[in-house]
Amino acid sequence: MSTTTKPGVLLQMTGIVKEFPGVRALGGVDLDVRAGEVHCLLGQNGAGKSTLIKVLAAAYQPDEGTIRWDGVETTLSSPMAAIKLGISTIYQELDLVADLTVAENVFLGHEISRGGISQRSRANRLVRDLLARLGHSEISPTRIVGELSPAGQQIVSMARALSHDTRLLILDEPSAVLDQGEVDNLFRVIRGLTAEGVAVVYISHRLEEIRKIGDRITVLKDGITVATGLAAADTPTSRLIQLMTGRSIEYVFPARPVEARDQGKPVLEVRDLALPGVFSGVDFTVHAGEIVGIAGLVGAGRSEILETVYGARRASTGSVSVDGKQLRRGSVPAAVAAGVGLAPEERKSQGLLLDQAVYRNITISSLGRFARGGFLNSAAERRRATELTTSLDVRPAGVVRAVRTLSGGNQQKVVLARWLLRDCRVLLLDEPTRGVDVGARSEIYALVRTLADSGVAVVVVSSEVEEVLGLSDRVLVIREGVVVHESAATEIDESRVLDLVMEGRVA
Amino acid sequence: MSLLPIKKKLGTGLVAGLAVLALAACTSNDPKSNSDNLAGGTTAAAQGSNDAAGDKIVIGFSAPAADHGWMGSITESTKKAAAAYPDVELHVAEGTNDVNLQISQVETFINDKVDAIVLLPFDGAAMTPVALKAMDAGIPVINVDREFDDPNAARVTVLGDNYGMGVSAGTYVCQQLGDKPDAVVAEIAGIDSLPLTQDRSQGFKDALGTCGLNVDNRVAADFTVQGGETAAANLLQAAPHIDALWNHDDDQGVGVLAAIENAGRDEFFMVGGAGSANAMRSIQAGDSVLQATVIYPSTQGADGIKLARLLVQQKALSDLVEVEVPRLVQLYAPVVTKDNVDQYIDTAFES
Amino acid sequence: MSESVGGVSTPEGPTAGDGPTRDTERVERAAEETARDSGGALALLQTTAGRSLGLVVALILLCAVGMITAGDRFASYDNMMTILRLAATIGVVSIGMTFVITGGGIDLSVGAILALSSVWCTTLSTQTMAEDTHWSVMVVVALLVGAGCGLINGLLIAYGGVVPFIATLAMLASARGLAEIISNRRTQIVHVQAFKDSFNSEIFGIPLIVVIFVLVAAIGWVLLNRTTFGRRTLAVGGNPEAARLAGIHVKRHTVLLYVLLGLCCGIAALMLVSRTTTGSSTHGTLYELDAIAAVVIGGTLLSGGRGTIVGTVFGVLIFTTLTNVFTLNNRSISEQSLLKGLIIVAAVLLQQRLASRKGNT
Repeated sequence: MSTTTKPGVLLQMTGIVKEFPGVRALGGVDLDVRAGEVHCLLGQNGAGKSTLIKVLAAAYQPDEGTIRWDGVETTLSSPMAAIKLGISTIYQELDLVADLTVAENVFLGHEISRGGISQRSRANRLVRDLLARLGHSEISPTRIVGELSPAGQQIVSMARALSHDTRLLILDEPSAVLDQGEVDNLFRVIRGLTAEGVAVVYISHRLEEIRKIGDRITVLKDGITVATGLAAADTPTSRLIQLMTGRSIEYVFPARPVEARDQGKPVLEVRDLALPGVFSGVDFTVHAGEIVGIAGLVGAGRSEILETVYGARRASTGSVSVDGKQLRRGSVPAAVAAGVGLAPEERKSQGLLLDQAVYRNITISSLGRFARGGFLNSAAERRRATELTTSLDVRPAGVVRAVRTLSGGNQQKVVLARWLLRDCRVLLLDEPTRGVDVGARSEIYALVRTLADSGVAVVVVSSEVEEVLGLSDRVLVIREGVVVHESAATEIDESRVLDLVMEGRVA
Repeated sequence: MSLLPIKKKLGTGLVAGLAVLALAACTSNDPKSNSDNLAGGTTAAAQGSNDAAGDKIVIGFSAPAADHGWMGSITESTKKAAAAYPDVELHVAEGTNDVNLQISQVETFINDKVDAIVLLPFDGAAMTPVALKAMDAGIPVINVDREFDDPNAARVTVLGDNYGMGVSAGTYVCQQLGDKPDAVVAEIAGIDSLPLTQDRSQGFKDALGTCGLNVDNRVAADFTVQGGETAAANLLQAAPHIDALWNHDDDQGVGVLAAIENAGRDEFFMVGGAGSANAMRSIQAGDSVLQATVIYPSTQGADGIKLARLLVQQKALSDLVEVEVPRLVQLYAPVVTKDNVDQYIDTAFES
Repeated sequence: MSESVGGVSTPEGPTAGDGPTRDTERVERAAEETARDSGGALALLQTTAGRSLGLVVALILLCAVGMITAGDRFASYDNMMTILRLAATIGVVSIGMTFVITGGGIDLSVGAILALSSVWCTTLSTQTMAEDTHWSVMVVVALLVGAGCGLINGLLIAYGGVVPFIATLAMLASARGLAEIISNRRTQIVHVQAFKDSFNSEIFGIPLIVVIFVLVAAIGWVLLNRTTFGRRTLAVGGNPEAARLAGIHVKRHTVLLYVLLGLCCGIAALMLVSRTTTGSSTHGTLYELDAIAAVVIGGTLLSGGRGTIVGTVFGVLIFTTLTNVFTLNNRSISEQSLLKGLIIVAAVLLQQRLASRKGNT
């Protein structure tokens, strides 16, 4: 029985901790949400927002901390339990089944039926009411969801949330897929819901939106609540950015070389590269020994730029040259042959053969080097791989163990070892420290710098602005597929980058 | 039931379990056993001194998969024929449509040094090399139903008479309709591309020609009930009036009769083929359009056993003067009608 | 038997985080690693052998049953050759199938390709040409037809984006259909005596087709375990996206895998043609199921990424020995099929158990 909760507080989370192997995603988060308010969550990528809402949706179980719902301490044992309480989540990646109708999607998992026979007309009628309540009676319950616009699909998601008795609605970056008119409509819908007493947790990078729709703000940083209950309307932007930046943990970034690197020989030249609908006019040069960082929001086109340079995606226009030689478009083998290497964002699904031995993961791109007439010399493979893993300090040692058994940081070292072995000229790193814990990060940073010092041209993409700024010699800031800023890393600071990437279209 | 001299040493628990399963499966749809007199030959054939026990002999038998009533009956009657002789031990390598496997089975018989091999090949030509190998090893091969392409590959060949079937059916139709030169005759064939189907149709056509009739409507099915039903339904649509219908195969005939029933047609009479017990019971009862059927004996394997036994025990066919077993035995394709059905129903096969 | 398979031993133990650990811990762990590493190769051997051990035991048990129930009839040289001749055809197909399945695919059309090859290399015109020139014309034709069908499968799958199941299902239907058209559904008899003589010869008392089987198995083993081609096959089957991003020509490699299997079908067709002295559109019916079954009970992962030639050979031998023991004992095909099904289920359940245990560590 709680007596500490204030009246009107629907949800109170205290001291929530969530740890993953090697990573402390949430280190003590406090959050209280009142009925009928729009509570905004603010924080950089990796600050713990996604983890927090997954705890709320009961997709994760917290390791520590308490959750009170309506003043009563509760455990959210399963996603279904969370839904039963009245917590609905609309994720950034909408989880709709594209080939089913609107009504079928809304009632997915709790179909309207009698004796196992679905009652379509009743379901359609209920969905029509829900859509009308959301101000979108023009969407037919019998439409196939895949045919709707992203905005329409979002409305369907919301209708699904409302089809349960929702008292708390969590919206994760809902405006990312919407244009201006649709955002206005979304806000109208949100206001309608809060007027009915529904609480909304709103996550967005766009400060302008937060000011417009939010009541109160909670700021997360490195998995900890650094400020809560800030008034959305009049907390100064500078104060918010200050709260979001400046880490409690200081990463050790290797020192930059004294002389400027961009005087060296250009190794990677990207000219006017475009991928329709994702990015266009991307133009940059990386010199030998230089690290260029790319900063931007998720979905701004960062990863796609790297993948296109690598040939994994086929550019519509533009060219990529390595050491003056133009690469064939859309061909990974051509890029690899020219000395380009990629450490992909999704290390496990894109980078590694998880069930295969460490040494096989390292040599897979250089098999020709260990083969004579197609016959492999495995002993030589293992010997060379052992040299590399020893010099990179991959732990545990032993190159015949399956890569799956290594931690994230060590897996990343294995990927880097693959390209070290190839003596690559250009190294593309996509989120090199994702899933890597704090200690190993510094090692990876040092490794990247050592590589650069040996004459490799490095491009780093990261969601963490501090990482981009700390590691790189030069920085590109991407917003919505366009390079909006380019300068030496020392000439720009974190809050300026955040300003650039968060300058929303709403402004 | 047949008591095969199966070596019971394979009585591991697993196999015992399988056997129980198999028995359970058998008893559930065991055909009304009706042909225990196979051993003594048909009623027409006298029981001769040849049936007296002689030296103990081992015969190997291999046939294609029993995916058709007729083929199932071949194996059944063969086993029965062997079981009736205490001096015959039958090794059955059962049903396969994979020539590679069937070759291997025959090789096993050769390794085993059986005294004779009765072989109904899935593909006569494909089984010829291994049959030659057996003959070379001094093991007489009795080739049943599907001929090898080398006469040296078999000591005795037992064949049905496909052309004769057609002739018998045609002759019967002529007898019934001889006075009506413009009568409509229809034919439902088996798988058209098979030589045996072509032979049957040729015989039918030739026999009809002698009385001035011809085949007005012809469709082909595939020896299955379902195929027979489809083909017959189409045929009945195409021909609003029919006087006589010959269906090549009694297995597919079950479907043909169903289609006729569904269409409510009874203005014609039907002649069957192969001679299943089902068809004969129907003829006996006289309750459908099926008036007669032409036998394609499913006792060929059983006769193969008998001939093999005579051959190995160096006996002659008792009613012949010749002291050696003949090279080729071609079985007759008689017409079964209500008048003589009793004579044949006991050797008919259950589909 | 030091075959290395795609998967690797997964020593249990901490999936060591590389976070800040106290020095003592680190030292301890390092010591542990060294200890384990010295036995690394041995551990690998043990697990690989362990995986094959079940198959060896199964085959020995089967042989024991054969010896007990049929005695010398089973344990004779002639009977061994009978088993091996039966195993040879399906064995060659299964070895090709091992590559395709390891590479993450499946091929349902092997029996049909075999039939088409057997028919094409025994047509009147092929045989006439063979008689006029050399019997190897028939060999070349069979291999070309097999490889050609494999090429079509591979192109459809890799570049056409058709899922392997459907692409090869279509090939199953059309290759057998074409075989029927070419042969007019008749069995084509081989008249080229030199061909028959060559293929039915023996080398040191061992039938040539058995020798070919052994050669194909040996080449297959080397190819899968000792060459860049094999390594790439494991990578493509284990994680095609990672393989692509590592710079492997995944599509080209996929095509090669199906061509390789088609070639194996061509070889198997020649073996069957020599054994039966015929080519027929009914040859190889349902071989796809026999081959897939042998590959799977051998321990190759149906989802790709791990393959074993030794396992496949054992799988084939288990099935053919089973058939032989049943024939020797007068048992029916139906019982055999039932037992075969049970063996497949048992093998796959065992495989899954092993896989899940591995996933947990």
